[in-house]
Amino acid sequence: MPSHDPQREPAGRISRRSVLQGAAAAGAAGLAVTALGAAVSPAAAAATGPSAPSARSGDATSAPAGPIVVHVRNARTGDIEVYAGTAQTRLRDKDLAARIARASRFESGR
Amino acid sequence: MSSHREAPEIAKDPVADSTDVYAFVSPDRPDTVTLIANYVPLQLPSGGPNFYEFGDDVLYEIHVDNNGDGQAEISYQFRFSTQVGDPDTFLYNTGPIESIGSANWNRKQFYDVTVVTGSGSSVLGSGLACPPCNIGPLSTPGSFYPGIAAAAAHSLGGGISVFAGQRAEAFYVDLGSIFDLGDLRPFENLHATFGLPGLSAAAGVNATNHLNVHSIAIQVPISAVTISGHPTIGVWTTASRQKARVYDSDAGEYANAGPFVQVSRLGNPLVNEVLIPLGQKDLWNSLPPADDKRFAGYVTAPGLAGLLPVLYPGVFPNLAALVKSGKARSDLEAILLTGIPAGLIKGFTNLTGTVLADMLRLNTSIPPASKPSIYGLLGGDPAGFPNGRRVADDVVAIELRAIAGVTYPLIDSSYKPDAAAGEVTDGLTPASVAASPLGQFPYLGLPYSGYDNPS
Repeated sequence: MPSHDPQREPAGRISRRSVLQGAAAAGAAGLAVTALGAAVSPAAAAATGPSAPSARSGDATSAPAGPIVVHVRNARTGDIEVYAGTAQTRLRDKDLAARIARASRFESGR
Repeated sequence: MSSHREAPEIAKDPVADSTDVYAFVSPDRPDTVTLIANYVPLQLPSGGPNFYEFGDDVLYEIHVDNNGDGQAEISYQFRFSTQVGDPDTFLYNTGPIESIGSANWNRKQFYDVTVVTGSGSSVLGSGLACPPCNIGPLSTPGSFYPGIAAAAAHSLGGGISVFAGQRAEAFYVDLGSIFDLGDLRPFENLHATFGLPGLSAAAGVNATNHLNVHSIAIQVPISAVTISGHPTIGVWTTASRQKARVYDSDAGEYANAGPFVQVSRLGNPLVNEVLIPLGQKDLWNSLPPADDKRFAGYVTAPGLAGLLPVLYPGVFPNLAALVKSGKARSDLEAILLTGIPAGLIKGFTNLTGTVLADMLRLNTSIPPASKPSIYGLLGGDPAGFPNGRRVADDVVAIELRAIAGVTYPLIDSSYKPDAAAGEVTDGLTPASVAASPLGQFPYLGLPYSGYDNPS
């Protein structure tokens, strides 16, 4: 039975993709988290992964024009994925996950 | 059937569903290869008022492996954008479309072509116009449409031509019978029928006749896709979507974000459709050819080989014995996953190496045939499938016959194929396709019009 890690791409593919998408994706990832942090969680915990932004105090108006989609994979552990532009950033932030979970309960309970 | 609706998830997403890949040395320009990837399967030509189109949110790619590693050294990327002239009318066109830039055509599609290699990327063309769908004599008059379609074949310089838009489906297959428990109409008198009343042999019916597809075709110099000493290339297509998709009900459209992830793949016809089991088809679609080692068992022990003797009792005794022996079908592995090594077929090879990868392998040093056989290599024509694939090649019969055992003697000369193995067919030929292919780029025939093909 094959196993599949949807995050994985062959090294060759990554290098070729990076030619097209690398600079833009890295920029977008930073902006995404910055915008999210500014809007939702100014005290968000440190992001993990290679595309974590170096500064958190951003201006939300500089966010990418497209949508920012947040996927809380596990609210208990704070495992969060953020999609913006053509970038994907993975965070571990229990506080932010808890806030989103509370917000979703509030919205669904209206 | 080549790869139309071949996996559960991609069957729900026809805009990203690859249907066929063709790769051949261009018969009218033998210093070039033509690579064709078709999408949006089984289009009823009358399917308006929102006629078929490519997905603006889909990344379409045609890949070339030129060193045998199962990964792309060259990728041609196609991104589309749709422009609506007047959003306040429900009409696709407000009068006859008499030219590719006609103001009467309300919903136009354009695209950019980018080539990506290990050393960088280059935009080959941008803002390239697609042709309109072929609607009927009032909207797309026959006096104009061939010229409009021809105007959508763009020369990009450097000997490269591209086309993207609707064409007639060229792949012929009797879907109606084959997916009725492996029935082949010419031989259905021999079918087991599961205790149901017997059937009488009948002529095949081309289920894809009078249907259209959306075709992406690119013609490039052979020298642009090969490296010195390696005339054989591996070709496949992919479609990718951004990872996150949210329906924005305020805007009435989907919003997309995140990296592109592959949702569709196609190299050799029928591999995912017939050989890969149901539970792994969409996984297969998400992976590169370089990962196909994990699926090799489905090629070397294909379920269909075991099924044929059951469906047609007494017709395939030698195949039944071969299946029972448990011997690996290394012939199929060579045809589909590595290419055929030198020495098996006199004067022929399209081996790319030892990496097991489903790619359409084309030895570009073999010139176009003066008298092509629709059975390709099985018909003694090394310029046809499985050496690449031409528009008219009968890939259904070729692969059915190979699975039925006709190619096993390549690796075991003592094996005698069943007499029926070399005759297996769904009863169709290129004559089963109403629209004639063109003799020049983009080769597929003009699309059928909705007026003339309403159902």
